[in-house]
Amino acid sequence: MQVNLNVRRYDPVSNGNGSRQTYSVEVEEQSTVLDVLIQVRDEQDATLSFRGSCRTGFCGDCTMRVNGKAKWACRMPVSKAQVDGEITLDPPRLVKGLKDLVYDQEEFLFDKYAATKPWIEPSPPGPTEEHIVSQEKIKELQEASSCTLCGMCDEGCTVLIIDKSFLGPAALTRAFKPVADPRDKVIERRLSELSEKRGMWDCVHCFEATEHCPKGIDPTDRILSLRDEAIKRGIGTPRVVRHNDSFAKSIKSSGWLDEARLAIESEGLTNIGGLMHLVPTAAKAMAHRKAPLPYLHKKRPGSKHIKRIFEKWEKDSK
Amino acid sequence: MRYAFYPGCVAKGGCPELYPAAIKVAEKLGIELFEMKDVGCTGAGVLSREVSDPINARTLAKAEAMGLPIMTICSTCQGCLMQANHRLVIDPEYRAKINREYLAEEGLEYRGTTDVKHFLWVLDEDYGLDKLQEMVVNPLEELNVAAFYGCYLRRPPEVVVPKGKESRKVSLENAIKALGGNVVATKGKGKCCGFPILYPNERNSLEMCGTHTLEAKDKGADAMVTPCPLCHLELDGTQSRAEQHKGKKINLPVLHLPQLVGLALGFSPKEMEMQRHLVSTAPVEEKAKRKAEV
Repeated sequence: MQVNLNVRRYDPVSNGNGSRQTYSVEVEEQSTVLDVLIQVRDEQDATLSFRGSCRTGFCGDCTMRVNGKAKWACRMPVSKAQVDGEITLDPPRLVKGLKDLVYDQEEFLFDKYAATKPWIEPSPPGPTEEHIVSQEKIKELQEASSCTLCGMCDEGCTVLIIDKSFLGPAALTRAFKPVADPRDKVIERRLSELSEKRGMWDCVHCFEATEHCPKGIDPTDRILSLRDEAIKRGIGTPRVVRHNDSFAKSIKSSGWLDEARLAIESEGLTNIGGLMHLVPTAAKAMAHRKAPLPYLHKKRPGSKHIKRIFEKWEKDSK
Repeated sequence: MRYAFYPGCVAKGGCPELYPAAIKVAEKLGIELFEMKDVGCTGAGVLSREVSDPINARTLAKAEAMGLPIMTICSTCQGCLMQANHRLVIDPEYRAKINREYLAEEGLEYRGTTDVKHFLWVLDEDYGLDKLQEMVVNPLEELNVAAFYGCYLRRPPEVVVPKGKESRKVSLENAIKALGGNVVATKGKGKCCGFPILYPNERNSLEMCGTHTLEAKDKGADAMVTPCPLCHLELDGTQSRAEQHKGKKINLPVLHLPQLVGLALGFSPKEMEMQRHLVSTAPVEEKAKRKAEV
């Protein structure tokens, strides 16, 4: 079959603004997009640059945008990718391009991985005997370990597109591993560091990362697991801790959420500036009879059972 | 058609217009709702799942005892209940542990058979959009409406959009069409509204709210419709702050799904309690009313 491969060309020296080039190729029906790129490089243009290692859908090195959507080129059949005989290829959207479809992995992926210190730290002076890790735990860790750092989850991330400083799901998934590993002894320090600005509390848990992950690692679930650990230990930024505590108190005492109380307590009862910040929206909501009055919140009929569930969980978590 | 009705906290709290609108619309359509009054909040993605899973298991067990599927009117409630249900159904050992440790004391047991459906899916899959179209007395022909789903009605796909339920990806647009409205296609329809980070990172939150509402406005939408009251709190409630953040006037009315259905079924904007919104719904009322008067 005949396809036109419309590729973004970029060379920081000779073509700083980038341009597009179309290659017309006769390909096998069962070819993948990566196969076609290799064919073009071999037969038409040796200067065309792209990444691709295993060619079998394992490593994720060939992450690129196929018709605007992040894909692994080696997993994308040409027959499926082509639209009216054309396939457009671009590098991932959030990265610094190096040449054509090759992008800078250092700044975007590896610097953020490194920032999470993704290695196990035993308590000093180190272990005195063999660590025994349960099979169940190993299975959980192995699932997270199958991440190949392809960056697809970051590509799908709703937050990174508006704020590149956010750690992002790829790095946070990597950060999950030592936190979940019983051999690590600095979990509270890790969770505190991950709570800092642009860390795990900036995640909107939209599950885009999970949808994008080709390995089924479920990065959003890993981030939520980090947050579950932090909530249990009362760790977060002061604002996050106030918000989580107020939310939990409200559900524990009445069975459901006192939203007005949550707004006030998240700002902090003594935070005059923060409380003043709420006034315009609160006043408007009151005027529209939209905002409930804080603390005048009736208990749900089954609230004693919700309280019992909370108390048991709190006791077991200690 | 009978459901155990789980209205959620926000429909009676920060969006008090949603609960009465949903009740009136369901009654008009002949959907029987049995409200679950003695159950807890789903956790909304804020509580640790270690405590929200038992609370949600309790809700699911109570619906199971009623012999009814659950109907929600909130994407977030839907997602949290559905994800908890998924964990409890695929892992019988986990379910047994929750039953033993948390539910047994109350004499409850969850066997894993409860189905949880958002009102949107009830309309699309159970009631039928053809039948809904037949019930329309005031087609919203002049109204250009952008859909905004809320994350939890779209992802994670293996939980929310299982095989055979692919229509869920376009059910909101299909509902708008069934009501006679014109769909305004947007890129942001399935993205996050920004509400979950309103407290931790207001700047990013307002950026998301402003981006989505501006996109819809620029593409000619008269209104946006959402099946999620938390998205409504963001897209309607913080829209004026998003305007300041973006430095642009937006002024896009945002309707709850039951309100849009209600207008097409002949309810007045007041009956749908649209006066409670922070962004004026006057332009929508004008277009919906004009048709009704013809």
